[in-house]
Amino acid sequence: MRTVKKYILPVVIVLEGLGALYAYKEYNRKPADLTGIAPQEITDVPSMVNLYDSNETKANEKFLGKTVEIKGLVSEVINIEDTLLTVMLGSKEEMHRVSCLLDKEQLVNLKKCKVGQQATIKGICTGFLLDVEMNRCVILNK
Amino acid sequence: MFSAVREFFNRREQESAENIFNYTFMKLVSIITFMLLAHHFSFSQAKLFTKTGNITFHSSAALEKIEATNNKVLSVWIPADGKIEFSVLMKGFEFEKALMQEHFNDDYVESDKYPKTTFKGTVEGSKNISLATDGNYSVKVNGSLTMHGVTRQISTPATIKVKNGVASATASFTFLLADYNIKIPSIVADNVSKQILVVVNIPAYQPMN
Repeated sequence: MRTVKKYILPVVIVLEGLGALYAYKEYNRKPADLTGIAPQEITDVPSMVNLYDSNETKANEKFLGKTVEIKGLVSEVINIEDTLLTVMLGSKEEMHRVSCLLDKEQLVNLKKCKVGQQATIKGICTGFLLDVEMNRCVILNK
Repeated sequence: MFSAVREFFNRREQESAENIFNYTFMKLVSIITFMLLAHHFSFSQAKLFTKTGNITFHSSAALEKIEATNNKVLSVWIPADGKIEFSVLMKGFEFEKALMQEHFNDDYVESDKYPKTTFKGTVEGSKNISLATDGNYSVKVNGSLTMHGVTRQISTPATIKVKNGVASATASFTFLLADYNIKIPSIVADNVSKQILVVVNIPAYQPMN
C-alpha cells in the first residue's frame, strides 16, 4: 500500500492530468491555418471545373473535403467589410469558375491577387454549385 | 408685297419649327413610356439569384451552445411565379471548433455521402411584390427540404425587403434532427440540441443573365 501511494498514485494522477489537458485542448482546437499544410491535390482551374462539369460524383471523390492547391486566372476579387473575402479564379466568360472564400486573416495577402493575373490558392473543396466552391483559402506566393 | 412674302415664309418656318418640336417631344414621351414599361415588366419576369446568401444554424443544449455559418448559399427566385430554390454545401458550414466541424461532417450529416442540402418551393404572395417600390413584405415559403437523403415538406414565414430596386430576404425555422435521420451519439446527447434553429439571410438578389 505504501508503494502504491508513494510511486504509482502520483504517476496515475499525472497521466490523468495530461489526459484531461489533451482532451481540453482537442475539444477547443480551432480549424488549422492551411498555410503550413501540404495539399492533397494540386490542379488548375480548367481541369477542376471540367471534371465537376462532366462528372460531379467523380470530381467529389477526387476533391471533396480535400486540401486543394489550385492555379488560375484571377477574374474577380470581392471584399465584403474586410470579413468575407472571395477570389474568383477562371474567366468570367466561362459558365463555371472556382470560388475561393479566404480566411479573414488573408486580408493582408489579398492585394497579391490582381484581376487579370495568375494566382495560386490553397483551400478546402466543399463541392459544386454554380461554381466549384473552396473555403478556408490561403493565397500562396507562387 | 415683299413684306407679305417675308411674313408668309416666316410663318411657314415658325410652323415647321413647332411641328418638329411637337413631333420630337411626342417621340421622346413614347420612348420614355416604353422604357418604363419594359423596366417594370422585365423586373417581374426576371430570374433573380445570389451566390452569397448565408445560413446559420444554432443548437442550444444543456451543456453547450453551438452555431455554424455557411456564407456561400445559392438561391434562385422568380418573382413572377414565386418559385424559389436554395442549395447549400454541407462542408461549407464553418464552426468555431474543429472537432465539432469534423463530427458534424463525418458522423452527423455525413457530408461525403450527402454533400448538398436543397430546398425547392414557392413564395406565397410573390406576385404582389413590386421590385420597383421600396417596402417590406411578409410572405410564406412552402416547399421540400432535402437533407441527409431525406425530403420533407416545410413551411415558414419570411420577410422580403425591397430597397432601391434590390430585394433581400430573411427567414428562420426549426427542424428536428431525427426527422432527417441525423443521429447524435448518446455520449454527446447533452451537447447537441434535438431541435435546430436555422436562420436564412439573403443580403441581395440580383438579376440572372
